[in-house]
Amino acid sequence: MAIFEIASFGAIVVLVVLGLGIIASMMGIFNFAQGEFVLLGAYVTYIVHTAGLPVWLGMVAAPFVVGALGFVLERLIVRRFYAAPIVAMLGTYALGLIIREIVRGLIGGLYLSVPEPVGGSVAIGGMHFSTWRLVIIVITALVMAGSYLLLARTAFGLRIRASLENPALARASGISTNAIYGATFAFGAALAGLAGALIVPVFTLFADLGIRFLIQGFVAVMVGGIGSFAGPVAGAGLIGTLSAALPWVISPVIADVAVFVLAIIFIKFRPQGLVAGKGV
Amino acid sequence: MTETTPLSTVSLTRGISASRQWRVLPMIEIAVLVIGLLLPLVLQDYLTVYATRVLILCLFALSFDLVWGYAGIMSFGQAVFFGSAGYGVALLARDLGITSILLVLPAGLLIGFAFALLLGGFLLLGRHPASVIFVALGTLTGSYACDRLARGWYYLGGQNGIPSIPPMTIGSYELTEGPVYYYMAIGFLIVVYLLCRFLMRSQFGLALAGLRENEQRIAFFGYKVQHLKAIIFSLSGAIAGLAGSLYAFHEGFVWPNMLGVVISTQVVLYVLFGGSGTLIGAVIGTVVIEAVSFWLSNSYQDIWPIILGVLLLLVILFRPAGLISLLLSERERVGSFGRPGKR
Repeated sequence: MAIFEIASFGAIVVLVVLGLGIIASMMGIFNFAQGEFVLLGAYVTYIVHTAGLPVWLGMVAAPFVVGALGFVLERLIVRRFYAAPIVAMLGTYALGLIIREIVRGLIGGLYLSVPEPVGGSVAIGGMHFSTWRLVIIVITALVMAGSYLLLARTAFGLRIRASLENPALARASGISTNAIYGATFAFGAALAGLAGALIVPVFTLFADLGIRFLIQGFVAVMVGGIGSFAGPVAGAGLIGTLSAALPWVISPVIADVAVFVLAIIFIKFRPQGLVAGKGV
Repeated sequence: MTETTPLSTVSLTRGISASRQWRVLPMIEIAVLVIGLLLPLVLQDYLTVYATRVLILCLFALSFDLVWGYAGIMSFGQAVFFGSAGYGVALLARDLGITSILLVLPAGLLIGFAFALLLGGFLLLGRHPASVIFVALGTLTGSYACDRLARGWYYLGGQNGIPSIPPMTIGSYELTEGPVYYYMAIGFLIVVYLLCRFLMRSQFGLALAGLRENEQRIAFFGYKVQHLKAIIFSLSGAIAGLAGSLYAFHEGFVWPNMLGVVISTQVVLYVLFGGSGTLIGAVIGTVVIEAVSFWLSNSYQDIWPIILGVLLLLVILFRPAGLISLLLSERERVGSFGRPGKR
């Protein structure tokens, strides 16, 4: 039972971190608004739910809505930041602040719950597992595999990697790096939106939903190693598992802090992360 | 003899023209100082209390400006030093009954310094030079962790923090909020400001500015880059600690938010908005943001944070040097260190 809890929480963290990791690795940008993309995904799901439509419809819509918004923001704002990573950090932080406060204004200071689209539990070997958490694990695995295939096996993925490795050469070869960056950012945002939509039944919807995941996400990306696909995923798996497993052993507050502190110490002595090197 | 005369006149005239171009910054500083000194005479009492809080936050903003504006270290955890000093003096007052200004303020200063030395030493020193992202993330995590620990620690009052701290005392006189506290805060602000100003115009400040512009070159000049960073980080922690202890006694209570991510990022906003890399920019940014937020908070409480975010984004996009750059030329803002004509 504990193992299932841990696995499902690990899956959630992987899902949240995937978009962050792709943007950080492929574009070299630390997107501080990523947590707010997660929040937006959750909010879209909530809106669709309150409109009387089925929840799963909101979950399907969320990645597209958030991805589209990510694309627009990239075109208008984020693309000005590529030259300076620190300014990018602050700029996306400001963006995140705007999104967060708008959502806070819309929902008030409330904690809103969204029901699971698939309720109940599945009995396997005499133990009951929450169906929705199982669905999250399965979808995470699918999304992970899909993203990997997209980046590693398709022509589009090849272009993304080319734009990362050597932008000048990529442009000279007729790849529009501008469009690629826009698409990559939108893709990362869409993944965050999906994550938000899927986790909102487990957590409730509140304005500061994103902040917690933001710190967790960055720590995971750094632990895993920037520049590769496998790095952030591995980091997220590790951080997610630890965050879920430690509270079973020590008090939750200490566990929460201990994971982050351990992670920072790890990064200090191995700055390149778990998976060194670039590529997919 | 005949050769030296024209040379000296050249350097003389250059010195004069440079000093003529150099007048805007001191003028702004003096204007701000005069306004600050006269303010309690015209403000109502409750506004003086609010203004005192803003002054203390200015002091806090200065501490962030030193690390980010001058040395280029992105510290997202400035509240750790602010809050830990606040908690420290609150505990001194609550458990030991120590409220004398001669003891609590140095204690706050030391606590801030010690925490900054520990965190900064860990993050900045070592075999691998720390990347900017790592420092930003490490400080942010530190702030989050302290907030969580304070919330969960019964001795520190948990969620509620430590309420009703007795007032700070000088001898038997109790310093309560109001004009007296205001003038004390502005006194500390002026002293710290002048110290920072002196420090930033010294060789040390020059090396820090070089660090911000091109770290590698400063390293090649033979400076111990990491040591410089750790020193300025600890100093800024001490200033934040002073601000935190003043804040704790002014408000009369401390609570976990004082350590957390919200305050840490708020101080970043102040400095970026006003103009990092100039000391007066940090002060102006704090005053403007706090004044506007006070003014708007009654009627537009909900949309004020959104406006703040939009303004910040606009500043970052179009005025990276902050509000101060509207008044100050680039040359004067960056400044030429040392004597004019000897660049």
